[in-house]
Amino acid sequence: MHLILLGVSHKTAPVDLRERLDFSSRDLGAAVEALATRPSTAESVVLSTCNRSEIYVASDDPFRAREDVTGFLSEYHGLELDVFMPHVFAHSDEAAARHLFRVAAGLDSIIVGEPQILGQVKDAFQKASERRCTGPILTKLFHWSFGVGKRVRSETALGEGAVSISFAAVALARKIFGRLDGRRVVVIGAGEISTLTAEHLRAQGVGEILITSRTAASADVLASAVNGRAVGWDGAMTALATADIVVTATGSQRPILTRAHVEAAAGRRRLDPLFLIDLAVPRDVDPAVGDLEQVFLYNIDDLQLIVQENLSRRVAEIQHAEAIVSEELVKFASWQRSRGVVPTVVALRQRFDAIRRGELKRLDGKLAGLSPEALAKVDEVTRLIIEKLLLDPTEQLKALPDEETQVAYTEAVNRLFRLRANESTSEVPDASPGIRPTDPRRP
Amino acid sequence: MSLIPLILYAAAGVVYAVHFVRRQPGVGRAATTLLLLAALSHTFVIGMQTMEVRHVPIANMSRAVSSFVWMLALSYLYLEMTTDERAMGVFVLPLLVGLQAIPVLSPGVENADPLFDSPWFWVHVASLLFAYASFALAAMLGLTYVLQFKEIKKKQLGYFYTRLPSLHILDAMNSRAVVIGWVFLTIGVVVGVVWASQARALNPGNANLQEMSLNDPKIFIALVSWAVYSFEMLARRTLGWTGRRSAWMSALGFAIILLNFLPVNYFVTTSHTFQ
Repeated sequence: MHLILLGVSHKTAPVDLRERLDFSSRDLGAAVEALATRPSTAESVVLSTCNRSEIYVASDDPFRAREDVTGFLSEYHGLELDVFMPHVFAHSDEAAARHLFRVAAGLDSIIVGEPQILGQVKDAFQKASERRCTGPILTKLFHWSFGVGKRVRSETALGEGAVSISFAAVALARKIFGRLDGRRVVVIGAGEISTLTAEHLRAQGVGEILITSRTAASADVLASAVNGRAVGWDGAMTALATADIVVTATGSQRPILTRAHVEAAAGRRRLDPLFLIDLAVPRDVDPAVGDLEQVFLYNIDDLQLIVQENLSRRVAEIQHAEAIVSEELVKFASWQRSRGVVPTVVALRQRFDAIRRGELKRLDGKLAGLSPEALAKVDEVTRLIIEKLLLDPTEQLKALPDEETQVAYTEAVNRLFRLRANESTSEVPDASPGIRPTDPRRP
Repeated sequence: MSLIPLILYAAAGVVYAVHFVRRQPGVGRAATTLLLLAALSHTFVIGMQTMEVRHVPIANMSRAVSSFVWMLALSYLYLEMTTDERAMGVFVLPLLVGLQAIPVLSPGVENADPLFDSPWFWVHVASLLFAYASFALAAMLGLTYVLQFKEIKKKQLGYFYTRLPSLHILDAMNSRAVVIGWVFLTIGVVVGVVWASQARALNPGNANLQEMSLNDPKIFIALVSWAVYSFEMLARRTLGWTGRRSAWMSALGFAIILLNFLPVNYFVTTSHTFQ
């Protein structure tokens, strides 16, 4: 059984091609079901996000499977092969597994460590699994990748720290106020960046959001977008006394919020912390405001610096995360190899059992005088002997370190016990079914 | 016998420090487990001592310190389990280890004065020890508040920023710890006054009891700390002194208490010498 991966990602394909190969906007489940109707790709998962479309297949016939996948991509999206093939990357076996582990860990994302991708990988697997398009290999592979994603997130700082200005502001607010439910926010200036920040704050469950802007219309637009309330300048200044978070982003050439403004409000607000987020260039808030005792003043450069630091901290964690991926890959590869010996183990077991039954049958006449309990005992004892004889060889075979040794050993076992010969001549009575590869969908 | 808890506290302290630096959940659970083991072994030690002298071992200074450490460990464990926040351990454990060293180094002899048979005496000492444990936690919370406040204010988000809970939570926990400590401090002082005046009438010959007044530095300083915490609570409600100011107040209050608990107790007090 081989793993095959074909796909396009932000690293190999421009956005317009990625859009044309996207599955997520259409029914992903139907897509994977359509792919799985081909015999060579019966075990498949389709992973599709805005940055990647990847198809994972487990197949006995990798060449055929690869052709089937490209054919499917071409048919499903109505694209000529030569349009997308130059941008498609392909991996097989360990390289494919490594790729999925890196994707799940967030190592292959545009912003390393971004959290959504793990959920998207889980979703892709679930869609395929619901439609019975997955088998033992892909099930194991994907579950393993979820584990890798979780390990990287808990053991490294790859996903830590905000990497956008508005998220950095929200993260700071949370560090000051804890949960933001019920916190009061004043937004001065209704531009793009203050809208983004207000939306993030709203998503954190803040209470009232008051918006003031030079043009009342844009204040109204933002107010309805974030379920806030548009007020005039005076209203905003009054609200300063009870606000927890103030976001400013106006186009003013001079500071609009002076120390006098904040002090006037501070008289009433006492020592409750006030978080001022100044996103404007040039600055809207007089830097002297930051000297007030309970005021935390951050301007856009401060936030930009935090973002830069967080990004470089994430980059510093990449090595650590890659080490986890490699470690898990070794474990996964050894699991997969142990599967390579399964047919031999099964055949060996059947061979032994056939001999056992043959001997019992031969003794049928002599055993006839025994009570049913004694007969059952004989059956059980002989079975146990076989179990014990096979225990060590089975474990040893599964633990073999590399594929070459494994082939040599299985070959030796096959020859020593004439396992292949049994298949062809069927000289052993009771050739029970089993060694033949079963339906890949049914483990 | 107090050595085993000390070793376990020290081990837990090391693991809490590792957890603080590396922030791995598994290490954090190991730290909590070690602290739990330390507290259990400590419970056993205190239980043995209780059976030995047939009352809670707090009439001897070193054993009182040991009981205080035990209560602080339990209070901290309670705090950790209710808030799911392990970052404070690295601040609390050194205090536990440092104080637990006292009973290990100078075990002392339990004082079995019949004077102490009154239940009031036990309420007095146990309340005060519990109050001190709460104040110790409040001081640690205050300290971490100030550390983190400085980082955010100066925009140098670094070590503590990524490891400590939010300022709001630190402040809220500090406030809660101070209120609990204040209640027990008040109970301890009031019960002490009642018990002393009763005992004085019954034991006219006891020099210690006759000495008990505000002139004794131990009693005086206990009342000063009571005043500091009362002010902290009052200022929080009426003047809005939250956050940094109440953090400093808690640190000040606990400094006074430590002063009272150790040097004053050993060298200066005139009435609380029960050796």
